[in-house]
Amino acid sequence: MPSSRYPVKESISGNWLGNKRRRWGNDQTGRVCFLLWSPGSHVEIRIIKDALAASIIEAEDNLNSTVEHIYASDLMSDVLAFGKPNSVLLTGLATQQAVISAHMAEFKGVVFIRGKRPKDGSIKIARDNHLILLTTELDMFDACVRIDAADRGTLPDSKSGMATQRSPEMLLNHEMYINGKDFVNAGMVSTEVKSILKKIGFDHKLIRRVAISTYEGEMNVVMHAIRAKVILSITPKVVEVIIIDEGKGIPNVDLAMQAGYSTATEEMRALGFGSGMGLPNIKKNSDEMKIESEVGIGTRLEMRFLI
Amino acid sequence: MNTQDLIEKLGLKPLSKFEPREINGVFISDMISDVMAGAKSGNLWLTVQTHKSIVPAANLVDAAAVVITSGKEVPIETVELASKYNIAILSTSLPTYELVGMLYALKPISR
Repeated sequence: MPSSRYPVKESISGNWLGNKRRRWGNDQTGRVCFLLWSPGSHVEIRIIKDALAASIIEAEDNLNSTVEHIYASDLMSDVLAFGKPNSVLLTGLATQQAVISAHMAEFKGVVFIRGKRPKDGSIKIARDNHLILLTTELDMFDACVRIDAADRGTLPDSKSGMATQRSPEMLLNHEMYINGKDFVNAGMVSTEVKSILKKIGFDHKLIRRVAISTYEGEMNVVMHAIRAKVILSITPKVVEVIIIDEGKGIPNVDLAMQAGYSTATEEMRALGFGSGMGLPNIKKNSDEMKIESEVGIGTRLEMRFLI
Repeated sequence: MNTQDLIEKLGLKPLSKFEPREINGVFISDMISDVMAGAKSGNLWLTVQTHKSIVPAANLVDAAAVVITSGKEVPIETVELASKYNIAILSTSLPTYELVGMLYALKPISR
């Protein structure tokens, strides 16, 4: 099922929260750290797991599901009083009570901090109720800060190799953002990609292929989508650029791949875009190209370049 | 031939800050994707496009310089961005066709 493999909207929207829509602070009790995403925004549980370098205690194949809030507390009465549905609970209370409270408050999962693990009875309750249970070595403060940083896209590279290292081979994993209709800054993400590759010292021809492909992908977002996240990752063997956009999607990918096919407006053509060569250019310049698109949701473009 | 020689020989007007570079050929297009697909590193790019995104495009294909023909006015944002990336933006009042005629007469530039 493409839709389950490809939760475009869910996977990217967590990064569009913006500073205005987020608040930090104490809840009414003044005793707990309380971190809230605004209603309507979502973040993937996987992102939280990566940010915390957490390990899974209990999870069906549902780490891709999204949550809207994080609630951090050790007092379960607070969770029940103030917790909002569709949250993840961060807690140092590794008892059955924590799992039950999270379930009662309609949370999606619980992250136990400071390396705590609940007993088997709690895990069974979680399994029966489709709750995700994770555990992290971080303390409450660091856990909150790292989730927030991950959501802002400012997670620092850490020596212990947490969220930014998806695999031991990953040399670099960098995220950038493109706004649709932003012709003023169009091309700046690909310019940044080029600078990064140049700094690392890759072969000129490889840099060119990556830069051109990324530019075409970027222009497609500027012309047709609302916004996108660009992930540049580098391993010893491959440079990978993934552009995940939120937008109208491509109804017929095969048609879009045809040279000369374009849905650009006259205005875009006047700027010299929309010759229908974008995707063919990417195909020509990349070693592997994959497009998945869902109309009304968005498009995911994956490009790989062998080093 | 480098950028500086070219400016002198053709009477081009430099708009941005840049370092002179060797020019190894010419590419003409006003469609950005054509440029991405066809322009080679070190090429002179002739166009009438003046908006800011020509700078990343020129930078990405590593063009030696961009010549804006037909006396088209270049927005200051384009010039500023080009200066930041050391991309030469040159301007001429000649239409593309006439400039090409002059370029063609100037060996050793060849496509």
